[in-house]
Amino acid sequence: MPKKILRINMTDKKATYEDVPEKWSRWAGRALTSAITFDEVEPTCHPLGPNNKLVIAPGWVTGTPAAPSSGRTSFGGKSPLTGGIKEANAGGLSGQKIAKLGLAAIILEGHPKDGKWYTLVLNRNGVEFKDAAPLMGKGMYEIDEILGKTYPNTAIIGIGQAGEMKLSNAGISVNDSENHPGRYAGRGGMGAVMGVRGVKAIVVDDTGGPGVEIADKETFEAGRKKLTEAILSHDLTKKGGGLPSYGTAILVNIINEAGGLPTRNFSTGQFEGAAKISGEAIAEVIEQRCQGADSEGTMGHACHPGCIIKCSNVYPDESGKHLVSCVEYETAWALGANCGIDDLDYVAQMTRECNDVGLDTIEAGNTIAVAMEGGLLEFGDGAGALNLFDEVRKGTPLGRIIGQGVEATAKAFGVYRVPTVKGQSMPAYEPRAIKGIGVTYATTPMGADHTAGYTIAPEIAGVGGKVDPLTDEGKADLSLTFQAATAFIDSTGYCLFIAFPILDIATGWAGMAETVAGVTGMAVTGDDVVPMGKEILKMERLFNEQAGFTSERDRIPEFMREEALPPHNVTWTITNEELDQVYSWVHNGS
Amino acid sequence: METITIDVAIYGPLARAVGGKHIACKKIEMAPATTLGNLRAALGIKEEDTGYIFINAILCDVPGLHASRNLPLKDGDHIGFFSKVHMWPYQYRDGAQMTQELKDTLRERGAMHHSYSTSGDDCTNHSVK
Repeated sequence: MPKKILRINMTDKKATYEDVPEKWSRWAGRALTSAITFDEVEPTCHPLGPNNKLVIAPGWVTGTPAAPSSGRTSFGGKSPLTGGIKEANAGGLSGQKIAKLGLAAIILEGHPKDGKWYTLVLNRNGVEFKDAAPLMGKGMYEIDEILGKTYPNTAIIGIGQAGEMKLSNAGISVNDSENHPGRYAGRGGMGAVMGVRGVKAIVVDDTGGPGVEIADKETFEAGRKKLTEAILSHDLTKKGGGLPSYGTAILVNIINEAGGLPTRNFSTGQFEGAAKISGEAIAEVIEQRCQGADSEGTMGHACHPGCIIKCSNVYPDESGKHLVSCVEYETAWALGANCGIDDLDYVAQMTRECNDVGLDTIEAGNTIAVAMEGGLLEFGDGAGALNLFDEVRKGTPLGRIIGQGVEATAKAFGVYRVPTVKGQSMPAYEPRAIKGIGVTYATTPMGADHTAGYTIAPEIAGVGGKVDPLTDEGKADLSLTFQAATAFIDSTGYCLFIAFPILDIATGWAGMAETVAGVTGMAVTGDDVVPMGKEILKMERLFNEQAGFTSERDRIPEFMREEALPPHNVTWTITNEELDQVYSWVHNGS
Repeated sequence: METITIDVAIYGPLARAVGGKHIACKKIEMAPATTLGNLRAALGIKEEDTGYIFINAILCDVPGLHASRNLPLKDGDHIGFFSKVHMWPYQYRDGAQMTQELKDTLRERGAMHHSYSTSGDDCTNHSVK
């Protein structure tokens, strides 16, 4: 049975199933959310107005049997944080269940005229519109518990209080296998876009659904085996490898040793307390607190069924019980080093607060750091920082400012050092110290985003004989290729971390493309990845242009050109002309 | 005999070599004109077990390449040793400061990879064609 588009109009509470039109038939995941946003959302609309939409799409291979680490769900629309197009994706249970209901995408549009809030229950029979009044004002931990009792074994997509208040840093939560929140489509304020639609939660029950058709089972199976073998043989992703052993926070000490760990609101590149908030430290805490049989803390946790990398963790409280999942690299950095906080328990508690209230941890940590620089708190004040989340939860004037993210908070507190691009704050790699990532921060249509430019094999990238990756020159070509490859992987439904093994193991790269070809029946090979990725980027770039973005929005903040970053004492030196080359092809046809 | 003092941080399973669990930090006295390879040997760490290595916030080695063994050390240097399990994805490494010796080695072996140890010691499938 061909996949359908489920269009849910919240103005008249009507759900319709539509055939996937030819123009969208090649796309899934990020490609599909961006294509629908490009075609159906007026670029100049207000992100919180009636003409924006929330598009939800699983990837090409999501929901297929045993495609490894392929449970991602893309959430797209116009971002309240950036004013441009946005795709944020999450792990958790939703992608596989939406796909198994036979859906290519869900389009959420309109808003209730009666001002009421709803919980949508999706199952094989259609959509039920349930009164969400019992959930209003509640955080995601309580929401998942309540809905999990009524609708066991379902995916729960929801927004916390931040989404109810339509704050620009409101994310969308997806529950994990233990029915805890924390798998977030965090970036860009898409939780506010869901809130505007009057939707507090979406329950997805795939019981009896048609499942995902596989057009060419032989090709799919061959690709699946290659990709699985690559993941399970690479040092980073195999059992006992870096990611399952220490999680993504394994990067804290490395980036700190490199002098590229943004610290105290991007004022220096090394944090003296880095080791205390690192993946190694998390592993030590879990070992100390979780020696009993009933302990719940663990490394090597899977964020969705079928993940074979397992980079997540469950951080325990002092009794060894589940406190939060998970403390990852960006979280440990944003709420730790960037705020001058070296206490893992505070970092974990703030992460739980982000998961509960419904905030992106990167933006939240950066916002607190900016507020600290503005004098609201001292750097290092873990207790004070933790209290700020209650301000957001209660919707106090201060909480609403904090919930708007970095740029609004910087204006409120008169701060000049504002680490944002296109309104979105930077992740945990200092572009002055690690310049390659800065080109991607500056130019991706998403705003400063560390996941926008994942590396692919040089043979595929076609850069082997063209540029020297070890110099500043040629970084525009390199960044574009990475961004295109990432746009493709974001459309597959695979976790981006498959990029680690498929960069180093050629059969893994081929296997990834073969699984897409096997599921869809399209003649996709590794050679098609970058061209197809550029098609996706072009839609996103054109949307932003039509929304009023010019090349002047593709810039690293002024302070990074003016202030030298210790310990290397370097400034941002890549020219605007080089940045403008990244997307020059959109209009010159090359 | 005059000595120099090296500040060492060891991350991951290698920390056990000097009595740590996942992280170990110590200062070690070495003879003048010593090299990073001498330091590693003094710590009881096998070369094949090392991953990324930093000297004073400058990357001087990556997993599987062993480009730093002859690097001279001086009094007060800080060295960060990482175990082979540690990752530093290429896209987050691109543009970071590194020693000339490492740059030269990467040009020979193919710069744009996450790890140089997935296929054994020869790394033959990692060369840029």
